[in-house]
Amino acid sequence: MLLALLAVPLVVRDEYYLHLFVISAIFVIVAQGLNLIVGYVGQLSLAHAAFFALGAYFSALIFLKLKWSMWIGLPAAAILTGLTAFALGWVILRVRGHRFVIITVAFAEIMKLVASNWIDMTRGFMGLPGLRIPALYVPGIGSVDISSKERFYYVALAAALITFWICAKLVGSSIGRAFVLVRENEVLAESLGISAFRYCMIAFVTGAAMAGAAGSLYGHYVGFVSPDLFNFSYLTIMLIMVILGGKGTLIGPVLGAVIFTFLPELLREASHYRMVIFAAILIVAALFMPRGIIFPLVEHLVPQRWRKNNAVTP
Amino acid sequence: MLDLAIFGQHLLNGLLIGCAYALIAIGLTMIFGVMNIANFAHGEFYMLGGFVAFYLVSLLKINYFLALPLAVVVVVLIAMLIHQAVFKRLRDAPMMTTTLVTIGLSLLLEHGAQLMWGPQPQTVPNPFPTAPLSFFGIYTTPLYLFSMVVTAALIVVGHVLIQRTRMGKAMRATFQNREAAALVGIRIDRVYIYAFTFGAALAAAAGAVLGGFIPVEPTMGGIATLKAFVVVILGGMGSFVGAIFGGLLLGLAESLGAGYFSTGWKDAIGFFAVILLLLFRPDGLFKRG
Repeated sequence: MLLALLAVPLVVRDEYYLHLFVISAIFVIVAQGLNLIVGYVGQLSLAHAAFFALGAYFSALIFLKLKWSMWIGLPAAAILTGLTAFALGWVILRVRGHRFVIITVAFAEIMKLVASNWIDMTRGFMGLPGLRIPALYVPGIGSVDISSKERFYYVALAAALITFWICAKLVGSSIGRAFVLVRENEVLAESLGISAFRYCMIAFVTGAAMAGAAGSLYGHYVGFVSPDLFNFSYLTIMLIMVILGGKGTLIGPVLGAVIFTFLPELLREASHYRMVIFAAILIVAALFMPRGIIFPLVEHLVPQRWRKNNAVTP
Repeated sequence: MLDLAIFGQHLLNGLLIGCAYALIAIGLTMIFGVMNIANFAHGEFYMLGGFVAFYLVSLLKINYFLALPLAVVVVVLIAMLIHQAVFKRLRDAPMMTTTLVTIGLSLLLEHGAQLMWGPQPQTVPNPFPTAPLSFFGIYTTPLYLFSMVVTAALIVVGHVLIQRTRMGKAMRATFQNREAAALVGIRIDRVYIYAFTFGAALAAAAGAVLGGFIPVEPTMGGIATLKAFVVVILGGMGSFVGAIFGGLLLGLAESLGAGYFSTGWKDAIGFFAVILLLLFRPDGLFKRG
């Protein structure tokens, strides 16, 4: 599997498909972060696209104002986004249900307004252009240019794999079991001394930091950051990746992210048709397939002994 | 020195926008109160109202005053269809499901409108003269006054329907306690469909009337939904009177905020208010005790 992933740039020579591989690797990171919040602790956060955009902006500002490269900007964006999520979570993780959902929307909208109106800092709707991908210093070889698509793919892939590893470790640990208990029965969790607030916070901050890191990669890769990143359509795509992939499973959102990066592009000639189709899929899946589509399929096709028991299905 | 004429101008603008917000929010708060669903697709009925009115007047050449109620009827039929196809199944669904479905529905309607009518903003052609009227230095147009009267009248009609009719009573009873309402013989399924389509009708009416001077475009529904959520939270979720006052309050706050503070930041007022209210006063601004 890993070999196949590593061989992608050797097999795929087409620039456009390589671009899609890079984008899907970035969205794998985003989807896994969202899955921690929506899938594992069961809180429907609609602020995830805002965290993604915030990460891109943090990283862009660090690059353009402080002249620090992505190697500092990426972890800094993850940490700053995580801190923002911590501050937000500190107040909003005490409420549940519709109130939580609506506050996350309001937060996302305020962040979008800040990005569009704080002209001195963000240049508003003109956005921040001129981001570049830095050279990678490899000991013994010297600095390597990684700005081409096939080389940047390895950077994005490495980031996606690291995220996957973190998620797997987290979910497999006692923290992951606490996540699921909080999702399934908060009262029971509290009565066992498991603080719902604390575990929601862990998932919320970790998920947001992943979105921030992905935003940083995306900003440097595309070279341009604008308030459009805050648009609801990004959020919808992220939700579709997680929900249809299979929320609360490790591999589901990963496959969801890859499939739903490639699928819209295959249908790209009919852009509004494709959004209509997606919306219909989301409605049908949410109504009739609470476990998603992709994970149950995988479960069906792959024999039990090949799979680690990583899915905690409701 | 505060210029009274300019202040009056902002008040007038704010009042009209406020009436429109109230009309949209009434339906949202009713669906929330009766069905316990945060309907992220509600603003799309406002968008549809505008587009259907545009379509009837400018493409089918139907008389403006006939086209407005006709547009509402068309949207009500669409809303009934949506209710039977989707919302009926959401009755006892968990919040995650209802929210995701309504987000999907909002996306479906927005992009469906893009396919049917294209992305360019349209205005509903109207027979009113465009020459401005002036009272005490405050400028307005006949269309503006007409819209103001219609939206205000619709709010009053809505209020009377909910307070005085049997169905209105049934809706309020369902909101207070669904099981008890069912127990005393109220047909809950009927209450659902009435509340849903009634709310859609009010939003569509706002869209059709305001479409004369606010550009009608497919993306306007999403923005309307967000504004309506702000209103509903200002007024208290599920509160009908709260939605009216909340709508007027938000309209005035935005209009004055844009006039004296900043156009770009005016939308932030409402969202900040939402976060603070949901944390500290979840029943809204107007609830006593």
